[in-house]
This record gives sequence, structure tokens and C-alpha cells, in this order.
Amino acid sequence: MSLWSELLEFGEPPRPDYTISDRDQILTRVSKALEKLPNRALMPLYDSKVVIQHSVLAGRDPVEVLGERMQRVNTKLFPNPAAIVTYLESQGWLRGYCAPALWRTFKAHFGPNFKVELHFESRRLDDYQFSITLAGGAIAETGTIILTDEISSSRLSSLAPWAHFAVILREDILLDVPAGIRALGLDRSTIWVTGPSKTADVEGILIEGVHGPGVQGAVVIEQRVK
Amino acid sequence: MATCLCDAFYDDVAAATLQVLEFVGLDVEFPEGQTCCGQPAFNGGDWSASRRVVRHTLRTFAGDLPVIVPSGSCTAMLAHGAPLEFEKERDLSAVQELGQRTWELADFLVHGRGITKWPGRYDATIAFHRSCHSRGSRSAEAATTLLASIPGVTVKEFGEGEQCCGFGGTFSVTFPHISTAMGDLKLEHIRAVQPDVLVSADMSCLMHLGGRATKEGKPIKTQHFAQILRDAMLANGGTA
Amino acid sequence: MNGRKSVDQAAAELSAETQASVYHSTKVTHEKRTKLLFDQYKNPDQLRQWAGEVKQHVIDNLDSYLPAVEARMQQNGIKVHWAATASAACHTVLDILVARRAYRVVKTKTMVSEEIRLGRFLQHHGIESVETDLGEFIVQIDKDHPSHIVRPIIHKNRREIAQSFEREGLGAYNDDPKTITMRAREHLRHKYMEADVAITGANFVSAESGRIVLVTNEGNSRFCLAATRCHIALIGIEKIVPRDQDLPLFLNLLGRSATAQELTVYTEFIKGPRHEDQLDGSDEVHVIFVDNGRTDVLESDCTEILRCIRCGACLNVCPVYRQASGHAYRSVYPGPLGAVLSPLMMGKRLFFEKADLPKASSLCGACHEVCPVNIPIPDLLLRLRNRAHVRGVAMEGSPPMGAWSVLASQPLAWRTALSASRVLNRLPTDLLPIPALQAWEQSRALPEWRGGAFRKWLAERRRPS
Repeated sequence: MSLWSELLEFGEPPRPDYTISDRDQILTRVSKALEKLPNRALMPLYDSKVVIQHSVLAGRDPVEVLGERMQRVNTKLFPNPAAIVTYLESQGWLRGYCAPALWRTFKAHFGPNFKVELHFESRRLDDYQFSITLAGGAIAETGTIILTDEISSSRLSSLAPWAHFAVILREDILLDVPAGIRALGLDRSTIWVTGPSKTADVEGILIEGVHGPGVQGAVVIEQRVK
Repeated sequence: MATCLCDAFYDDVAAATLQVLEFVGLDVEFPEGQTCCGQPAFNGGDWSASRRVVRHTLRTFAGDLPVIVPSGSCTAMLAHGAPLEFEKERDLSAVQELGQRTWELADFLVHGRGITKWPGRYDATIAFHRSCHSRGSRSAEAATTLLASIPGVTVKEFGEGEQCCGFGGTFSVTFPHISTAMGDLKLEHIRAVQPDVLVSADMSCLMHLGGRATKEGKPIKTQHFAQILRDAMLANGGTA
Repeated sequence: MNGRKSVDQAAAELSAETQASVYHSTKVTHEKRTKLLFDQYKNPDQLRQWAGEVKQHVIDNLDSYLPAVEARMQQNGIKVHWAATASAACHTVLDILVARRAYRVVKTKTMVSEEIRLGRFLQHHGIESVETDLGEFIVQIDKDHPSHIVRPIIHKNRREIAQSFEREGLGAYNDDPKTITMRAREHLRHKYMEADVAITGANFVSAESGRIVLVTNEGNSRFCLAATRCHIALIGIEKIVPRDQDLPLFLNLLGRSATAQELTVYTEFIKGPRHEDQLDGSDEVHVIFVDNGRTDVLESDCTEILRCIRCGACLNVCPVYRQASGHAYRSVYPGPLGAVLSPLMMGKRLFFEKADLPKASSLCGACHEVCPVNIPIPDLLLRLRNRAHVRGVAMEGSPPMGAWSVLASQPLAWRTALSASRVLNRLPTDLLPIPALQAWEQSRALPEWRGGAFRKWLAERRRPS
């Protein structure tokens, strides 16, 4: 490493030799190193459910657990869509984005002073104070919102505005982390969101809203208004 | 096994260990040929030198008697360190065998002999320093159980009790700044609970902490765990 | 970095203020971690043991896991590259960028990129590469080095950061952490939008599905992967876990061990290029598997260190790290993990350059106790000390033990030395396991020499009366 950095000090680093492919070189060295092992460690027989915190879940209503766990990580769980709109109004956040799939669910609650767009234009990302998007589900145990590439249609819309609200269908709530992993399925890019964007890089002091939302909200609904 | 540190500096600790073991009804042998467990060279990286000393220890302690050591550090050397440096040696099994019958004193009394109460009297507030070599073993818990059972003794917990005192063998002299800073931090936590005596199962930690406290002009009374047991017993009129 | 200054010297020269803040924040994180784990699980040590066994199994079978992961990823539409050295890894990145005519890059925190000095390399080739993790961003504008693998600027205070922001034109001096963070937010979100390529690392890769798992608290990796069209992931060859169902165990331990969180805020599972209906994100995903010394580790007797998931728990608990901070280790990886990994990654030829690091430990074992993958770090430090000795690496403060060991294996000579010294009232420096009495006595008093006293007492006591 230090040799490498010295080379950088003195100009152009050497171009690697492509005559033996790096792939072959690495795999050959790996095989040679492992050949010498008298025996190789076996995969332990453990149940991947060992990490579940059963005491948290124990026969309780998943929505209740979700709410309690979201509170721990500072995600605000709202009782219904109307409550989100009331909150937005109280904060003076009137410009935002609503995912088209949720428009009918929220439309009636927005007053005339709101300016809500159904298309998120990433060029103008600073124009949106809030966003409302559909979640792929949630994990009760950890108070986690699941956003999938397939269902949550614009990655930036749920990330760039200061306040983001995820709409979760009750039937999509999963109990625990292993269930969340099983639900990944074929989705190309799933993100679990457990609280607002945060950092403690400056003197260990917790600050929310570093790159993503400073306010993370959620609401559980029985079904969307179609 | 008396340990080289007791052989050189702390003869009373070795004596107390012997008295304690006799008090619980054991015949104690002291093989005269014993020297050191081999740890200094092992920690220093000179494993062939260390193995030479371990082989000497193997010869000295041949047989099947349990080997009782008033030091978590030397015990860990024989139970864990020596097998590591003998991994590729042909006498590994002999080393492992010795390791298996080597006990730290408190562990031996409590878990080997089933003694959980100590008689006599010792009027003092004790701060017990858990030496790092008792990590993952039941020694520290054994020692505090016995100490707390002595009439007159109050064992006080202090801050960051699981942290190292900074001795670390040769570390104490090759990294003097860090070692001393770690010692100061430990002393600060200990002084905060105002103990009458600082007790440990390892004289090496106490040599470091006590030596530092003396150098600072604020000496602190240090005693080995065995000395407390012995003195409690003597206060009771127990015979040594 | 710090040249060849010893860890002790570096610690002695560290400002009291920096030392105090490093000590405080590592201590707080460590205590929160322990509380969280022990409050929630009856036997968290069992979790650490399983996780360690899973990773050791992967390492021992990398010869089959690596080709399997590669095939899986290719099926998922990912382009897989291999880089044996730091230089090869850098050039592979550059080749991808140049082919796309991409001159602006956003980066998340990846220790591999620190290893290969990617930032400097890209700059050298005229590519703008912006660090987006707040800590790494500050390291970058200060042309500094991270001093902790999870908290890169643990060594800086708010005033220093405020000065750097002022110097970089990010507003007038203001050392309020919230203001600093909001200014970074404003600055960086435009950098994401301008960039064409995102470079990340990976926390885990599942061999079963080929999924890449990335965790951040800030959400910067999500922003990188939402705003750009091409994703390059630099991945050390040891990052694999066998199955998706192993991820809960590792995510659980990583969050708790690193920052005392049940889950890191953002946990991303990337399987390939974006979904057809997805508006944002990568059309092209490249993975570069990086060796850069890892096969040297695999050839050593310290392969356990390859289990490491870079949580930083061993740094946080380490009393030496708490005194010395990260730069003292002269390496990308500081602390106990670094003291093992850094010298090994130098390869056999350059091992000597960092052979002193394994000595920077009192062998207290706290690192082993907290390690989420149960790496026996003290044993590995000892093995490396032995390796240094066998290779004849000369090191300050390492006393020759040969003469001592001869003495300690000859009981008569030992006993003579013990009591003779007493008679002569001098310290037998050739006998004691304390090689440098001066260093001892500078800060600590030495007890009275009582060599042979116990044996004499015993002999008198046992003499039949």
C-alpha cells in the first residue's frame, strides 16, 4: 500500500499487466492457499430466526408493534392519510409530490393552498418540501419501511424532499427481519428505511436530515382508493 | 506454581496461597525446580525461547496433580497460550494436558472445590480489579464471590471495570505512554469509590497500578486475593 | 501518514483534546452496544459465534464461493471484474468511466477505495470524485485520512470542521453541527445530480442470490444510486455470506456492534440494474472483486481476520486505540483489527513495514469479546509477533529472550540468580521479564526485590522441628 502511494507521489502509476487475467491470478492463489488446509470449517447449523426478538412481537397486533418500534427510531406513524395532510399544513409544507397510485387516497384531504405534483421532476428536486409514496411493506420488529423498485416508482422522490411519508398496506406488514429478507424476492433494488436520514459524524452529535429526509413518516391503510 | 513475579517480589503472596490451600485441607507440593510459565517470551514473539521454558515447566510439573497458580495471567499462558505456540509441535498433547489441570486459585477454590463462603473476618472496603486474563473464564466471578462472603468485607464495583489496567507485560515498557495513561484511568476509577484495599488475582496488574500510584505520591494499598483470604482466616484464629 | 513513528510516540503527541474526544465517543458507543445486545438477547455471544462460523466457512471455501457469486451476478445482469492489486482496481474503475465518457463521480464510504487510494488516482486522471458520507467529505476537503473505520473524523472537532467549510466556500464560519450538516446537504445534493457514476463498496454479498447489501445511516448511498445511471461496487473477495437467510444475523450484529442500532437506517439490497418501471437508478451495474493483499492473508495462519465485517467495535473498546486514535496505526485499518490486517495485507515482502503494529496491544482481549464474528484477535496478534521474530524484523523495545529462556529452564541457575541478586542488593536485569527498567521506573515505582524469600520461608517452615 505504501509502495503504491509512493508511486502516486511520483506520477503515473503503472498500468497492470493484462497478460494473466486478474481473475485467474486471484482464483489460483485462493485455491492454492486453501489446498493446504487440513480441514475446512463447516457451515454451522443454526436457525436464521434466532435473531428475532420474540418478546417484542409476542402475540401483539403488528400495527401496534410497528408504531412502537417506529417511535424508537423517530419515524412518525400517522393514524390516517388526513392526519398527514394536517401535519403538513401545520408545518407550512405545501409543495410536494404524491405518487400517482396514491392520489385518490389523498386527493380529498389536500386543501386549495397545496401544490401537489404527480410527477417527480428530479431536475427540480429542491422544489418539493414533501413526498408521499407507496411502500412495498414494513417490518414491525424494527419499525422499518420497505421500498421496492417495482412498487415505489421513483427512488429520488422518497429521498430528496425534507419530509417523506410512506403508505403501507396493512396486509404488507411483515413481523420480523427474516420475513423481510424472504420477501425480497426478485426485486432489483429494495431499500429498508428505519428512521430519518442521520449522522453523528460531527462530535458524535446526532443530526437528522443529512442527505435524505429529516422527517420520516408513515401511515398504515387497509386499502388504496382505486 | 508460585510464578516468577512472586518468586522475585511478592513472596508473601506465594506464602498466602500455600496457607489458603492448606487451610482448605490440601497437601501442597512446591516443585523446587519451577521458574516461569514462559509468557514473557511468548508475548514477545520469541516462541522457540518460550517453548524451551514451557518444556521445562512440563518436566517440573509432570504427573497428574492439579497445578494451582495465584495468577490469572500465568494460568491463561498454560491453558491457552502454550497450546497456541505448540500447535505444530509433537508434544502438543502434553502441553494441553498440563493446561487442563492448571487452575487459577479463585477458580479452583470455587469451581474446583465448591467453596463459596470464606470464614474469618476482614474489615475493609475492597475494590477488585478483574485482570484481563480472567476474561471468558469464571475466575473473576469466583474471586468476588469469595471476597464478598467474608464477614466485614464490602466489595465495591468501579467504573469501566472490564477495561485493562495497561500492564500487558513488555507492553508496559515498550508503550510506556499508553500503558501509563491506561493505568491512570484505572486508578481514577478505583479512587472514585474510595476503597481501603485494591485487590486482584494478578500481581502484575497490582505491581503496575501500585507502582504508578506510589510514583504519583498517592500510594494505594494493594493485596493479592490470596492475602485477603489468608488474613481473614488468621483473624479468625485459623491456623496456617 | 505518520512515517515510522511508533504507536506510543503518536499517542504521546496526540493533543489532550483529541484524545479526550476519541476516548469519550468510543466509550459511549461501546457501552450502548453492550446494553442493546444484552438487553435484547439472552446469549448474544452465541450469535457472535454463529456469525464467526458462517464467515469462516465462507473463507475456507472461497474457491467455490467466488465463482458461484460471479455466475449469479452475471445472471442478474451485473458485469463482474476482478482486480488482483490496488493498481488494477483503480484502472478497472477508470476504464469503465472513460468508456462512458463519465468525468463526475459520487462515492460512498468504502474502505476498499481507501485501501487502493482511488480518490487520488481519479483526481490524477482528471475525474472529479466526490465523497458523499459527511465524515469522508470532510476528510476529502481537508486532504486528511480517516481515523476510524465507521467514524472517519472522530479526531476532528466542530471548530476545525467549520474552518474547513469556510475555506471551501461553504458559507461563513459557523460551528453548529446542525448548520454544518445542512450546508453539506445543500452542497452534496447537487453533486449527486451532476454525477454520472456512483462508486460504492458492499457490506455483504449473498452467494445464493448475488444480492449486494449496502448499509448507511445518512442515505448517501441511496442518493448515489438514485441519481446516477451507472453503479460500480468495489468489493473485497471476503465479503460473501452463503445465503439470503444469513443476512438477518449479520445485519443484526453489524448495526448493533457499529453504532448500537437495531438496524442501520438505510439497508439496500441490490440485485441488478433498475426495474423497467423504475425511473431512477443504474442501467449498468459493475462489480469489481478486489484482492489487494487478501490472498496473502488467506495464505497466512491468520485467516480468521478475513471474517471482519468492519463494524469498528474492536476500535471502540480498545484501550490502546482510545489513547492513540487512528492515525497512530499508519494504515487504512487502525485499532486491533488493523494491527492484524494491515501488516498482513502488505504481503510477505513488505510485512516488516507494519510488523510493529501487533505489538501495540496489551493483549487484554476486549476486542475478541466484542467482535461480532468472534475473531480471536489476541491470538492473531501473537502469531504476528512470532512471525516478526522469526523473520528477524528488528524492533525497538523487543528484548532478546534467548538468554532469559536458558536461565528460566535451568532451575539451579534461576534460584542462584534470584537470591544472589538479593544479597548483592541489585536488580538482576537479565532475569526479570522486564527488559527496560528505566521505562518502567519513569512512571512507576518498582517493588522491593525479594528474590528467593518465599523459598527460604518454605524451607524453614517445612524443616521438622
